[in-house]
Amino acid sequence: MLAGKGFKQVFNVSGGINAWKSKTAIGPQDLGMDLFIGKEAPLDVLKVAYSLEQGLQEFYVTLANKAGNEKVKDLFLKLSKIEVKHQISIYTAYNRISHEGINKDEFEKIVEISALEGGLSTEEYMDLFKPDLNSEKEVISLAMSIEAQALDLYHRVSSKISDSESKAIVNKIADEEKAHLASLGKLMDSI
Amino acid sequence: MKWMQFLTPAKSFDYKEADSYMAGHPSGAITLLDVRQPSEYKESHIPGATLIPLPELTDRIGELDPEKPTLVY
Repeated sequence: MLAGKGFKQVFNVSGGINAWKSKTAIGPQDLGMDLFIGKEAPLDVLKVAYSLEQGLQEFYVTLANKAGNEKVKDLFLKLSKIEVKHQISIYTAYNRISHEGINKDEFEKIVEISALEGGLSTEEYMDLFKPDLNSEKEVISLAMSIEAQALDLYHRVSSKISDSESKAIVNKIADEEKAHLASLGKLMDSI
Repeated sequence: MKWMQFLTPAKSFDYKEADSYMAGHPSGAITLLDVRQPSEYKESHIPGATLIPLPELTDRIGELDPEKPTLVY
């Protein structure tokens, strides 16, 4: 149907979702989108993204404190540090675009922290995945689920916003999430 | 009636090919299209997929960019 409508490159993913072995995302199309409603200007998008990364960073630190063994604890702390890197790149982009030269503490004051990446709250994630916090594999699997959810949210947000600069920012963050997801996959394979 | 739209074959990717194809393209450069029902999408979907259920596809095809490579499932 698409090829006949002028679509130049169309590929069928054989076996569909049932054959898909990589991480999937869940939820309706508007899950988490409310976070971005009315905040579609580039600087607002960055603030929301920063809050999402902050939520996830705190989530990983909370889990690190609950973890039953040192390996899992270290893993959660590593994951939290990756989120901090994401936050730094978002904060840097904010200052570059705004020319405000705002310091990090001031920036954090204007950012609302409300939900994890992917638009689910901490409790919702824990209820959904019920991870065994003593198992490295389960922890990585949980992180991959969350990153898949985040990647999905950023893609959905990107498709809904019209400002090209905002779109580019969201796409860049999505690319970082994609790379993060791939590195978690490699980590899983190495265990 | 434009029969080409029903008859043009699309190349198939298995999940590994699709996964590496997506990894090789920046976000926003390709379209990943989920043509299943909303309930199926809600239960599980490939991250980044755009949902347009098959019954709605002809009416909503304008929402998609024909210039972008499009992976469909």
